[in-house]
Amino acid sequence: MGVISAVGNSLAENRSALRAGQGGITLSRHLPTRYAGILPFGEVPIVTDDLKDKLSVTDPGITRTTLLALHAFREAIADARLTESVLSDPATALVGATTVGGMCLTDELYRDMSGPCEGSAFLSSYDCASVHMYLQDRYKMQGLATTINTACSSSANAIQFGTRLVRNGRARRAIVGGTDSLAKFTINGFNALQILSTGHCRPFDRDRSGLNLGEGAAFLVLEGEEALAEAAGGEAGKKIYAELTGYCNTNDAFHPSALSAEGDGPYLAMKGALLSAGLNATQIDFINTHGTATENNDEAESRAIVRLFREPPPFISTKSYTGHTLGASGAIEAVYSTLSLEYQEIYASLNFEQPIPGIGLQPVQAYGVCPLRHVMSNSFGFGGNCTSLIISKVN
Amino acid sequence: MFYILQTSCISPQATYPPPGAGAGIGAAGIGAPRAPVDNMLKAVEPSYEGIPGSVLRRMSKSVKMGVGAALPLLSSVPQGILIGTGNGGMEDSVKFLKQIIDYDEGLLTPGTFVQSTANAIASQIGLLHHNNGYNATYVHRGLAFESALIDAAMLVTEHPGHSYLVGGVDEISNHHYRFEYTEGWYKKEDLSGKDLYTTDSPGSIAGEGSAMFLVSGAGANALAEVKGILTLRSEDDNTVKAAIQAFLERYLPAGTLPDLLLSGENGDNRGFSGYERCEDMMAPDTTIARFKHLCGEYPTASAYALWLACNLPPVLPGHLVKRLSKEKPYRTILIYNQYEFSQHSLILLERSL
Repeated sequence: MGVISAVGNSLAENRSALRAGQGGITLSRHLPTRYAGILPFGEVPIVTDDLKDKLSVTDPGITRTTLLALHAFREAIADARLTESVLSDPATALVGATTVGGMCLTDELYRDMSGPCEGSAFLSSYDCASVHMYLQDRYKMQGLATTINTACSSSANAIQFGTRLVRNGRARRAIVGGTDSLAKFTINGFNALQILSTGHCRPFDRDRSGLNLGEGAAFLVLEGEEALAEAAGGEAGKKIYAELTGYCNTNDAFHPSALSAEGDGPYLAMKGALLSAGLNATQIDFINTHGTATENNDEAESRAIVRLFREPPPFISTKSYTGHTLGASGAIEAVYSTLSLEYQEIYASLNFEQPIPGIGLQPVQAYGVCPLRHVMSNSFGFGGNCTSLIISKVN
Repeated sequence: MFYILQTSCISPQATYPPPGAGAGIGAAGIGAPRAPVDNMLKAVEPSYEGIPGSVLRRMSKSVKMGVGAALPLLSSVPQGILIGTGNGGMEDSVKFLKQIIDYDEGLLTPGTFVQSTANAIASQIGLLHHNNGYNATYVHRGLAFESALIDAAMLVTEHPGHSYLVGGVDEISNHHYRFEYTEGWYKKEDLSGKDLYTTDSPGSIAGEGSAMFLVSGAGANALAEVKGILTLRSEDDNTVKAAIQAFLERYLPAGTLPDLLLSGENGDNRGFSGYERCEDMMAPDTTIARFKHLCGEYPTASAYALWLACNLPPVLPGHLVKRLSKEKPYRTILIYNQYEFSQHSLILLERSL
């Protein structure tokens, strides 16, 4: 696994911040937007040029979205000890997700659009596919590759798709994840929807007032049993964190940018994930919720959780640390869920005081160690795209 | 892998409404092709009677074309909706971006922002039909539609009794056209009255459209079966050739080759040798046909090709044919497409004749 977010540039840094309850939401230092000093964001505290240097990227036209992806991808393949030949093996798939893609270059795109110029180096970088085509080229990847965009559930769907590629024998291993960078484009979009909080976001709190946008990336290496057995013969010390046991993708089919009041899509996604894992609701030990801290999401998600679980297991929203990283959030939170399993620990959900009236759910508010076997990770997006994953401890 | 039960297509040709619902495609659809205007083949849009007016007004062209082509296939409820789009949402993204700059990040209306996400097509179809099923959008540029097909192939393996709506949708966005023109993907000279395939110059013509397929693991009354799909990114001739060879060996009975090759040749003289390489691998009695003069070049043009393959008349119109080798029924059809030279796809189809 590999991850970069507002709370750290690596798995170790992210875990350390989560354990310490240290969120990464601050007023922006680097963003070229008039909201930089007004709204708090979950910004990765490295400027784009420094990221380029750190990653030895000299190619023109590489966007911040791609650099964040590359950063997390590098950590993931090192962590999984994937060699160059394994990366370029046609049986190694790449499934990425992003919603912003090259649209982080809002101003550059505007100049390219309006100027009589010959065009910048970014002309082929504005779409979402450019991110993963760069990774394909850089690592000479020959296997199946694709890019998914289902808004804020994008990378949960990338994880689901990669798992199914392996299960269906279309790949022996799949490197799956997501990336998104903060952009004038999304900041203004969410601001126009009036769902950006002027303070730190407060998931599941009665007085929550919207989300904080964040940025980051995460990748996970999924290997089938066959590939693992082969690796066990050759490479010593390959670490198996967990097993992806359940997944389900549904559509809320209610509104382009809001969930139904009872959270039908979330309910069906969580229920379907249980079914696909062959588990009962009582067997889920912990939920990493979507928990954006918007009025709409937290209420709908809470109602869906209560409807399915009756007595909900412990749950948190790590968006109180990273902000909402959009297309990256499903992958980042799958990594966090896996860290919870690995270390048998639950991180504190931040900024919670009073439960939502009439529902009364309270997220975990203090770090704690407890036995965890099956954890659920939720991701819901615009367009009603809902996906739930279940990650389980390997015996 | 899976069966195609029904198809529907909005394209620059008269392909809509679908066969059986009015004008047949044989005569109206591809009998007398519409020619490009200003090197663009723009879709012939229907009046979208099935979409409520208040909803229709807010939709971008790609969402309209996507929903419009999907509607005739939704008399039953599919268990999922899978859409591939290379630049769906780009036009609305640019509109919103202009607002951001023009109003200096002032208070903006969120409509175009919400519409600008690529998943708006799949989610609008789900929304209008209250479909709570599986819903996914693939955006891997020239392989976006093929990714949706691969997902469909896995879904019907996992749930053989289920049916899924699969489609490829793209629109010509003026800004995107300009970028791609600057990068040399479209012809500099006016193509009016000329044959796309004999112009010895770089670039192609722009196109757009929406092709939808109702697919299932059960083959009763199917139009065709998709036998194999391959996607590949490479600019190395030998790698591509080996991949095509391996694909043919894997999915066709030993010693046989397709009856028809539907080639994505697009008039760009730089890509010609790549298509010729695939043609050279066909049998002498494989007929070779082309389709980009009908739909133009765009990331999901292979969806149009698949629609065409499912709906070909028994006798091919002359403008499709590059090499006529036999007049017997075209049962096995191979679609070979490349996008910007580096993204290649193969779709092998067996028609029920």
